[in-house]
Amino acid sequence: MPYDIKVVKRQWEGHETPLRWGRYPVEHEPIRRHCHMLDDANPLFIEEGRCPPVLVDFFASRGSWPPGDFDILGLVRRIPTPGDRLINLNQEFEWFQSVSVGDRLGAKHKVAAIHQRGTKLDPLSVWIRTETTIVNQREEVVAVRTNQILVHRTPEEIVTGVSRA
Amino acid sequence: MTASAQRCWEDVQEGEELKGFSLELTMTRMVLQVSGTQDFYPIHHDQAFARTAGHEDIFINTGFIRGCLCRLLTDWMGRDGFLKSLGFQMRRPNLLGEAIAVRGRVKTKRPEGRVDLEVWIENGRDAAVTVPGSASVVLPTRS
Repeated sequence: MPYDIKVVKRQWEGHETPLRWGRYPVEHEPIRRHCHMLDDANPLFIEEGRCPPVLVDFFASRGSWPPGDFDILGLVRRIPTPGDRLINLNQEFEWFQSVSVGDRLGAKHKVAAIHQRGTKLDPLSVWIRTETTIVNQREEVVAVRTNQILVHRTPEEIVTGVSRA
Repeated sequence: MTASAQRCWEDVQEGEELKGFSLELTMTRMVLQVSGTQDFYPIHHDQAFARTAGHEDIFINTGFIRGCLCRLLTDWMGRDGFLKSLGFQMRRPNLLGEAIAVRGRVKTKRPEGRVDLEVWIENGRDAAVTVPGSASVVLPTRS
């Protein structure tokens, strides 16, 4: 049966996941690793334990290993697409309050939009936009994130006409 | 940025360039990227996997890119600034072996300490902007 983007849109656009709490609380060591990666010596993060704003979704996730359920991956993987290779394209954050070591974060995700539009990687590329709301232990919103991901086939799959959905 | 170098809204000029920074994307930096982001998707560390997907080589991930832009802004703001929003588009991959420059410019000053900025990442190979973005911050005021 050929891939029908209209059916996928009908089934998945608007789908929301329940609030799930991060697997671990906000910890200092991952903050330091993040800073070391970037040669970021900001004492606010390295010494005092403030969470860099862009790390809040990491701490709100179920943990990075095994990777199947990390952040939006589990949700994106459930949406039928011709390919299974992923590339993130855009991201937008809005923050409402700071987060520090010891806080507990959680997240819920929503499938905002799904489109099929060809790219140079794959004429059957599928674009998935998600919205993530991140809350702290008091269930106050600390950030909202929008993400656009592209799902495509490998060149070999394109040549052989393989479609997973 | 040190704890004493606090930028206030009154100090900011529209058009002002932010002091950026550069990073070489060596293999060690790519390993730091996986460590720092805990993003184990192989396209960012496994060259064979990246090439079978049609890419030239492994490239830095979203967590690294947004970390760079965040560092640019938090270095500039000082400890009492608040990063309100950040958006960016990853238009072209930044590959192993390349160098990136992280840059920014003040676009607009607004009331109540708000400052809007353009931020971007340039690729050293051809000075092309691979990641354009925008941000808004809230700075303390002297009044």
